[in-house]
Amino acid sequence: MSTAVALSDPVLDELRAILGDDHVLTGLSARYNRTRVPSPFPVHRWKDYVPDVVVLPRTAEQVSAVVKLANRYRIPVVPRAGGTGLADGAVPLRRGIIVDVKLMNQIHEIDLVDRTVTVGPGINMLKLNEELRKHGVIYPDDPASYPCSLVGGRIGTSGWSLLGSRYGHTRDLVISMQWVLPNGEIVHIGDGGGRKIRKSSTGYQLKHLFMGAQGTLGIVTQATLELVPRPEVEFAAFFAYPDYQAAWESTGALARSGLATLAGVVLFDEWKLRYLRRDDEAYIPQPDDVQAVVATAMYGTRDEVTPAARRLMRIGHETGGRYLGDEISQGDWASRHDRYATPLHGRLRDGQVVPMSWHCEDAALNYSVLPQVREEWHAIADRFIERHGIFDDWGMFAYTNGAYKPGGDYLVEIDIGIWEQKLNDENWAAWVQCKREITEVTLKYGGSITACHGSTREGDAEYVPAEMGGGFEVMKAIKLALDPNNVMNPGKNELDRSYQPVGSGEG
Amino acid sequence: MTAPPYDPMRDGNLQREFTEQWSDAAYGCFSSGHKFCREVCPVMQVTRNENHTPTAFHANVVAMEQGNLTIADVADDYVNCTQCGACELRCPNTLFTGDFYRNRTQTVKLVKAMRALAVDSGIEQPNWKRWVEATVDRKSEPVIEVPVEQEHVADWAHGLDLPIGGETILFVDCEAAFFRTSVARSTAQILKAAGIEFGLMREQWCCGGPAAEMGYVNHARSFAEHNVADWQAAGATRIITLDPHDYITFTEDYPAYFGEAYDIEIVHITELLAELVREGRITLSQPVERVVTYHDPCRLNKRKGIHESPREILRAIPGLVFKDVDHVTQWSYCSGAGAGFAIERPEIAAEISRRRVARAAELEVDTLVSACVWSERPLSRAGAEEGIEVMDLMELVAQAAGLDGHGIGDTSIPAVAAVAGADRNRGATNGAGTR
Repeated sequence: MSTAVALSDPVLDELRAILGDDHVLTGLSARYNRTRVPSPFPVHRWKDYVPDVVVLPRTAEQVSAVVKLANRYRIPVVPRAGGTGLADGAVPLRRGIIVDVKLMNQIHEIDLVDRTVTVGPGINMLKLNEELRKHGVIYPDDPASYPCSLVGGRIGTSGWSLLGSRYGHTRDLVISMQWVLPNGEIVHIGDGGGRKIRKSSTGYQLKHLFMGAQGTLGIVTQATLELVPRPEVEFAAFFAYPDYQAAWESTGALARSGLATLAGVVLFDEWKLRYLRRDDEAYIPQPDDVQAVVATAMYGTRDEVTPAARRLMRIGHETGGRYLGDEISQGDWASRHDRYATPLHGRLRDGQVVPMSWHCEDAALNYSVLPQVREEWHAIADRFIERHGIFDDWGMFAYTNGAYKPGGDYLVEIDIGIWEQKLNDENWAAWVQCKREITEVTLKYGGSITACHGSTREGDAEYVPAEMGGGFEVMKAIKLALDPNNVMNPGKNELDRSYQPVGSGEG
Repeated sequence: MTAPPYDPMRDGNLQREFTEQWSDAAYGCFSSGHKFCREVCPVMQVTRNENHTPTAFHANVVAMEQGNLTIADVADDYVNCTQCGACELRCPNTLFTGDFYRNRTQTVKLVKAMRALAVDSGIEQPNWKRWVEATVDRKSEPVIEVPVEQEHVADWAHGLDLPIGGETILFVDCEAAFFRTSVARSTAQILKAAGIEFGLMREQWCCGGPAAEMGYVNHARSFAEHNVADWQAAGATRIITLDPHDYITFTEDYPAYFGEAYDIEIVHITELLAELVREGRITLSQPVERVVTYHDPCRLNKRKGIHESPREILRAIPGLVFKDVDHVTQWSYCSGAGAGFAIERPEIAAEISRRRVARAAELEVDTLVSACVWSERPLSRAGAEEGIEVMDLMELVAQAAGLDGHGIGDTSIPAVAAVAGADRNRGATNGAGTR
């Protein structure tokens, strides 16, 4: 057994002085278990990613001191909240210090008058809402990982909420933050200067810059969040269609309805239904003529939702949808966090069942291009499955992506199973190539690589400069100015290019 | 039962066998990556340490299989578990596809197996080691504050005139036999009042469950062999347990030890009593003026799906105001008293108890009712700080049935001052409420 770390004793001694002995973890198990996230992981090269040390801070001052130390010694720092990301933001690429914020899970203040709650980044939304609902309010950030992801990671990735069309996504729900910059200074980040001010035109709009920065611009240590009334009513309706085209047209009609209580519209394609039909338990069986499904949900007061639901049902019917009934609609919506990615559904071409990890593509695309993208993505997946065997096409979802205005663009997901137990350098390279081809389709159709997970995966990150265009030069300048020693999550989003002399082979 | 000294060759083989056996199960979790288990885990809720999660428990196996980690690297992680089973229930693999693929997540089994691998590899936890050693001579668990000697194992029944042997045996858990004797006496009186014929064992030993939970499987099995032989000699066909921990041991460990040769009906008291109440064989007519909530014992609710019968009994007690919290919400509750956790981690266990009682306090009750005698000592300690009394369901029923129900000596309601688990140096005698 070896617990030796690459860091020298003086560094560890300093960390222990900052955090206390119990909150500096050097054991191999502590470090291995904070290396990966659920996104596809080259498990055969696990040891290449293992950090040198894990720290568990409890205060912003401790985070600040750790980051200042990292600057003095030029040690990489990678923040980690729930570690539930579907891209690699929390995966250390250059070892270094993992700043695990899970102990910073306090509720600092509930303000029922000005409608905010102020929390540490280590709190989970479900746990937060258990407290908030006693007061008749909720924090409505509702990702698929709602039962386990943490506020810090939601901010680090600029997450997406299943109820975003009604209540907004993470960036809309975070009002302001306490932030440790890459130089260790603790600053206020928001719209303007007021901690509870939602809209301001003072200075630059820094909240958007730091939201979704994937740990490359520092670490959030406190966040002031939006409160909304706990909805009186939840209404869910699932509709069935004989083909994708009909379901896509109906999706558009539902999303353009203008109903303010509409929380989201979700389109399931034929591949997704086939995937969900792989057992008799995960999805209530539907007759074969059901080839696509559209799910909708509404939230609000009874006076709003009751008439709006009637309108929604009419649109669903008029556009060819067959209502799937209360049991499926309410039941499936209620289990929306648990149900749709099941590793045990992995299948080889010959039908053999193998446990597979889940790649969840999360491109942002406009409504008009969904049918074409779908065809091209499935064709790419099919080629790689045929050639390499260890992949599996789990189908596609398209979710309304705009906050308060669902009619425009969509979070578009193709789910691909990967049999990680069989990974080696060759088929990992194949996976990355598959990912790149999927990304190229996204960019070809004017989309964005990622709606919510972040562009930190191999196969995504290389395309950040291409997608951002001239804006990438702005990113580089900001990164260089704020993090001159490149200590914050180095290697992500191609930001290492910030440190290259001008004209040194940038693409 | 002291563990063998370290032997790299043997330990390498043990580990290889282990990872081969657990590889697919571990990968079912590793590849899922949902981590929904975390925020229901009573330990993780307190420590917030990613190593103390079912995700880590499974990922470690994958890392061991790859040669990245050894049992020595990971053994400490598995100390941090009460084996409550919440994580298994909250796992999407279990919820949606576990039965279809016969691949339910079995974290508790994995934790037990890894703890056994640690012991077999010579890696022991000091307090567990002392605790298990203390049972060698005493044959019962080292229940603190009271003498534990084999000749006193049935002292709790003094004056009740209970026979030895018979078709039905009441198995009285160590904590109830030596410490909270009011639970044992209440149970026996209730059964008698309902006309159930039952006897005691000729010589009851510890069920062996805690030793198995700590990784000392051979030791646990020797207890099991004694108890089953005693039952057979008495001609027993049915065992009534009053403690959920015994119930788990008799319904899960014993069948694994003895296979089909083990043909004995195991009944938990709440299931039997609910039936007796339903059939009118016991009358609960004395009003009990208390405002109560019910603590779902983890091993009943999460591991065995028994949550309705205790509620049925509570609703049959006159005078009681019962403020219920549903059994699914209680997946994330625990007393902290399971699987030896509190013996090695008393401070964390005490915090788990404190949080459980705080949930009860929010309901503005005066009494927290449990059906697990092992939960009652730590919950009572926490309850004393909140002004909430902790009672066993059987104690409550005895009152409602107009029975005496008091324990022997003065332990009927345990003394609040017995803060035993806080002192780790007390070693073998440090078993209070820490099962």
